[in-house]
Amino acid sequence: MSEADALRRFVLDTLADLGATMSEAGPLVWIQVPERVRSDLEVSATFAITFDPERTGDFEAELVAPGSLFLERIVSLAASRGRWDVARFEAPGADWIERALSECGLGSERGVRCETEEIGETVLVLLSFRVSLVADEKRERFHLIAVSPTTGSAWEVDPVTADSGLIAIPDARVPPDLEAAYRLGTEKLRETSREAVDRFRSTSLHLLEEEVRRIFGYFDRTIEEIQAADPDGSHDLLRTVRGERDRRLAETLERFDPKARAALCAIRAIQVTTARIRLHLPGDVWADATLDAWSRRVRGVACVVCHGMEGPWILHEGGVCCARCRPTLAESARPRGRPRSDTPRRGTRDGRGSARSPRGSTARSRAASGRRRGP
Amino acid sequence: MSLPLREDAPSPDASLALQFDETDADLLARAFRTSGDGPRAWRLNGEAHRISLIDGFDRLLAWPSLRGVVRYPHQERTCVRVLREMRGRAILADEVGLGKTIEAGLILKEYAIRGLVRRALILTPASLTGQWREEMESKFELPFAVLRSVGDWEHRPFLIASIDTAKRDPHRALAHRKSWDLVIVDEAHRLKNRLSVNWRFVAGLSKKYMLLLTATPVQNDMDELFNLVSLLKPGALHTYDRFVERYVGSADGRVPAHVSELRDRLRDVMVRNRRGIAFTLPPRRVHSLPVRLSPGERRLYDNLTDFVRDAYWSASGRMSWAARLTLIVLQREIGSSTFAVAETLGRLTQSPLFGAAERERLEALQEEARAITSNVKALHLVGFLQSSDEKALVFTQYLRTMQYLRGVLERDGYRVVVYHGGLPSPAKDAAVRAFQRDGQIFLSTEAGGEGRNLQFARTVVNYDLPWNPLRIEQRIGRVHRLGQEREVHVVNLWALDTVEAYLMELLDRKIHMFELVVGELDLILGTLDERRSFEDMMMEVWTLRQAEERRAALARLGDALVRARDQHDAMRERNQEVLRDVSEEVPA
Repeated sequence: MSEADALRRFVLDTLADLGATMSEAGPLVWIQVPERVRSDLEVSATFAITFDPERTGDFEAELVAPGSLFLERIVSLAASRGRWDVARFEAPGADWIERALSECGLGSERGVRCETEEIGETVLVLLSFRVSLVADEKRERFHLIAVSPTTGSAWEVDPVTADSGLIAIPDARVPPDLEAAYRLGTEKLRETSREAVDRFRSTSLHLLEEEVRRIFGYFDRTIEEIQAADPDGSHDLLRTVRGERDRRLAETLERFDPKARAALCAIRAIQVTTARIRLHLPGDVWADATLDAWSRRVRGVACVVCHGMEGPWILHEGGVCCARCRPTLAESARPRGRPRSDTPRRGTRDGRGSARSPRGSTARSRAASGRRRGP
Repeated sequence: MSLPLREDAPSPDASLALQFDETDADLLARAFRTSGDGPRAWRLNGEAHRISLIDGFDRLLAWPSLRGVVRYPHQERTCVRVLREMRGRAILADEVGLGKTIEAGLILKEYAIRGLVRRALILTPASLTGQWREEMESKFELPFAVLRSVGDWEHRPFLIASIDTAKRDPHRALAHRKSWDLVIVDEAHRLKNRLSVNWRFVAGLSKKYMLLLTATPVQNDMDELFNLVSLLKPGALHTYDRFVERYVGSADGRVPAHVSELRDRLRDVMVRNRRGIAFTLPPRRVHSLPVRLSPGERRLYDNLTDFVRDAYWSASGRMSWAARLTLIVLQREIGSSTFAVAETLGRLTQSPLFGAAERERLEALQEEARAITSNVKALHLVGFLQSSDEKALVFTQYLRTMQYLRGVLERDGYRVVVYHGGLPSPAKDAAVRAFQRDGQIFLSTEAGGEGRNLQFARTVVNYDLPWNPLRIEQRIGRVHRLGQEREVHVVNLWALDTVEAYLMELLDRKIHMFELVVGELDLILGTLDERRSFEDMMMEVWTLRQAEERRAALARLGDALVRARDQHDAMRERNQEVLRDVSEEVPA
């Protein structure tokens, strides 16, 4: 869909959601809006809009285009609504666990056997954030962060697919601790935005430094020149020049001082089927994990290299490693003939104490609890 | 805010923390306490944010929302350069007529869309405040207000002020107390002297971005260039002593030295587009149609002029401003048609502005005007129109004249489209379309389609002549603008021995106004007299009682205009010389 089509769809959908009735007439769309939204949109009961700048003014049609006041009002209205919502995700078929595992590299085709220990339900929290980096320019990003309050994990979600398969439900369990979910979400957001924030800061500070150096250079040399020309000259003049320098510096600081802000836009609670599973990996290794039908993320498995918990996974010497660490392994492991580490890997008979739990020591997996392991 | 000291260079190790909005807590507290707005509203919430995301200045966002603005690549390039490379501080020094105002408006709009400009100040000569407000409103949807009272500094985030008003207390102090996101200074060559109140006022404003607009950054000597650049970026041309030593090649400060190095430095702060051959507008051909009034019209004109002169001088300064204005209106209306003046005369017979004897004279004049049923000028207009098959724009200042002409032209079988400020917007659009489709005559008042595309026509008839030459220029500009490919015909109808004849003498014969490039006239009139408008000067000449006095005063005004034009030509040459390589030629 082109940007123009997306914009048109957004505006018409928003108006429909506000209870407007619409009829299209060539380049114009005639709109009738209910009383309650007229003042927000600053329109009369019936009015026309157009997406074509050339037709602005035909029947006093409001132009809808980036930068137009009407679009600004529609955006502002849409952003003030729909700030929380409850949805349900139905597991697509009985084999969703097997398919989810295959997608993340832990399917039976890789020799991984899965034992389902419990099927249950949980509520995930989806938080949308707008991140704004502002100095003398502005850069913004939209982030969706999903939080599982039960496992204490948070991950970024692709906004394009986030809605897929969700069914609205009028009433549902509200997440038990929204604030805890928010804290996890903000931590994750900080982590995912760090690189962009640092890059922005570095650019802004570079510009600030350049500007400050130039201002000092100019005013200090000007003061020297004034003093050289007239050593007993006016102190008032020098004071004025210094005052001007300080004012310029303050102005420059205001201009380039980088700021990074994030705002919570909306929250969605998602009821979803979950499974507690035991994964039997090749090489007599097993791990306990959970996954949910919506995100299909396997939680409870950690990378043998970085201990990260983000898949997809690659089986590696009786354990798993994440896609990011695969190149590291390929480079560093075998060819150099480095001796194998004595440190037992997590999830093996010898590695009982090293298993990582997404919720820390209070929520250790069975692999870490010392119970009898699988075959 | 504390100032950054040299020792306090920003530490590269420190990281920038993401600050979360305080209102997040409110949302967390409110969420799920009531049922939400539904899944569609949730989705639209996300889309609203994604649609309005800003990603630097990677692309311009404002173009689609601009109204009546033709998109020219040189303006787009300028805007991108100022936003990305100059980071919002620049001298826009395009040659006249290439659209500096549009460029400035575009830059402002880009910042406003991104939320980077929430307070903006435009400083202009007093005569241009209204024009700026109109352009910002109609083309950019930016709600600017013209400074009227001290309260405006507090309550108007988008403000236009005459620099002469703003620089004086109490305005000065209020302007300096505010923090401006963007300051635009039009006709910025008025900031050429760093010791002037103008320069110090602008330098003292606290601002994030600043645009200085001038077609002639160098008017007399190189100091002026230094002073302008120092407002934007002190140090960009070194210190003053070093600048003089390095870049000034003569004792009088008029000759540049190390020119290529100087131009390199100027490129960081200045954009200058100049007309390429292909960007030059087609020529204008001016037709002057002097008319001899009928005996009845002549008598009325002379009697009314006598009344105006008597009333203008009789009270010698005791006359109210409103009464003076009324006299000017009468004199202008009679220059348009007897129908325009008849109605005003009728109203004035009851006006307390005039004494009993004057009201009696006004009544007699009204009767005289009402007795005239046709105007010779209209016959000349029909005669001219019959000589051509071209579509024509016929301009008049007055609705009464317009009504009269409409009747005359329609009786002659012309398809006439009328256009005036009182029409609602859809009717105006319909009028332009009807004229383009099959209309022959576009009969218009001053509101003649500002910003509308009328270049499909190429003939402009000035049925009457506004005393403000900029209004004449605006009329011609409706068809003689970028996009016009054919020679443009300008027809001026004027009666002999009238103010309009004086006007033609000055504007056409003395300064060849009709040959000037769009925008040059502003500059010439700007250097003529900063305190009095051209209309006031015309009225002062016209109301002199003795014909010899009038002729002498007209000659003096003519000489002043010629000097102003010569001065303008010399400045244009100087700027071309100094800024040659900073400029980019605008192709077709």
